[in-house]
Amino acid sequence: MWVPIALGRDVPKGTTRAVIVEGRELALWRGESGSVQVWEDRCPHRGMRLSFGFVRGDSLNCLYHGWEYGTAASCRRIPAHPDLDVPSTIKARAFPVAEAAGMIWTRDSGEEPMPALPDARPLVSLAIEARPELVLMVSAAAPQGGAQIFADEVDGMTFHIGWHQVDDNKTMLHCTTRVAADPLLALGAMRALRERAERRAA
Amino acid sequence: MTTEPAALNQWYTLGACKDFGQGASARRLLGENLSVTRQGERFIVSASGRFLPVKTDFGHLWTSLGTPARGLFDMPEVKEVDRRHIYCGAVTVRASGLRLVENFLDLAHFPYVHSDILGIEDKPEVAKYEVEQRREVDELWATKCEFFQPKAAAASAGGQISQYMYRVVTPFNVILYKTSPNAPNRWDVIALFVQPVEPDLSIAHPFMLMIDETSSDAELIGFQQMIFLQDKIVLENQRPRLLPLQPGRETPTRADLSSVLYRRWLKEKELTYGTEERSDRVA
Repeated sequence: MWVPIALGRDVPKGTTRAVIVEGRELALWRGESGSVQVWEDRCPHRGMRLSFGFVRGDSLNCLYHGWEYGTAASCRRIPAHPDLDVPSTIKARAFPVAEAAGMIWTRDSGEEPMPALPDARPLVSLAIEARPELVLMVSAAAPQGGAQIFADEVDGMTFHIGWHQVDDNKTMLHCTTRVAADPLLALGAMRALRERAERRAA
Repeated sequence: MTTEPAALNQWYTLGACKDFGQGASARRLLGENLSVTRQGERFIVSASGRFLPVKTDFGHLWTSLGTPARGLFDMPEVKEVDRRHIYCGAVTVRASGLRLVENFLDLAHFPYVHSDILGIEDKPEVAKYEVEQRREVDELWATKCEFFQPKAAAASAGGQISQYMYRVVTPFNVILYKTSPNAPNRWDVIALFVQPVEPDLSIAHPFMLMIDETSSDAELIGFQQMIFLQDKIVLENQRPRLLPLQPGRETPTRADLSSVLYRRWLKEKELTYGTEERSDRVA
């Protein structure tokens, strides 16, 4: 199953972002050429979270010792040893990544390709203190095959909402629309959904 | 509370003596609540009604939950009359105390974590240094360490190649000897005393013996606190928070020689408090 973990807009070029998916800490980053990466949030050298690192060109550099990783996740420079030819075995752990429908997606197992989804405009990501089952139950959601996304209608507007589970009691929603929409209306709809789900979870 | 002899039979600081008010105060060590009573300059430390050994060396209060095989380590510079004794405060860090010691031994992070202070990105190379385990005193030493530093200390006027020596005296206590900008033939001494509160929670007590007649106490403390708070950002974001001893969990390079020796020494001592559980050994 492909899981959306952030709105693409929220990881601009040259930045990193930390995301927790089912208890696992992930680092997202986007190089200057525009391609986004999803890695374990951990430098193999000393375990430092790579989401604290800095992006230069198309590399991510660990904050702790400046180890430089390219988009293929291989370490290509260890500044403490400028003349060292870095062994190819030193790699960050990379996960499959896709960008579609305004969202960044990853897949933790399986081999299925990312399903084709229509383009969408990003609106807002919102955290809800409830398990995904409760969120889906209160939203009258219609799930869409192969990808963790559902459509929901509020005040005559259709929202396409991706979701991922953060931990046992937290869900992130990533709200998009396929037509021009009022962001305030979307935010209001998501907040109403959050309120219903959290009331139910309480 | 731990029952592990390697952790129990050690001396630990609970902080600078001057930071204890008269009467009773509460502290925590190795997952156990301690009661400290100060009467004048006399200290009594107890845990669950049991009296613990007490020392007040180097202006700090020391105790042990077990029976240390040896006395407290020596720090002869404390007796040199021209040194300033600088107590840098107590900093709580959500990480294993062993991670704190290992970070203290690390040179390669200076250009990145302490950018333009203890290192610069243009000169990140860690030159070869020497490490040894001095078995007669059961200490680890790293010597002949050198690093270019744009602002090595509060008193620095400009950049210098700093010389460093590191001395690990117990698993949770480490001392650094560093070129003094004010006295080229002597060393400034910076100690990091770590109070392990829980396996993944520590209180750091940095303490300095400085040769510096010009900087104020506030300047010296401010400099050290700035450095330590930069380290804290890293320390609280290393994963796992406990120190991994299992081969392959992390990736040392030649610059990490002191860390490699430190981890080997911890294994030799069978210290597991503050370390990650291993799956490569059968009990």
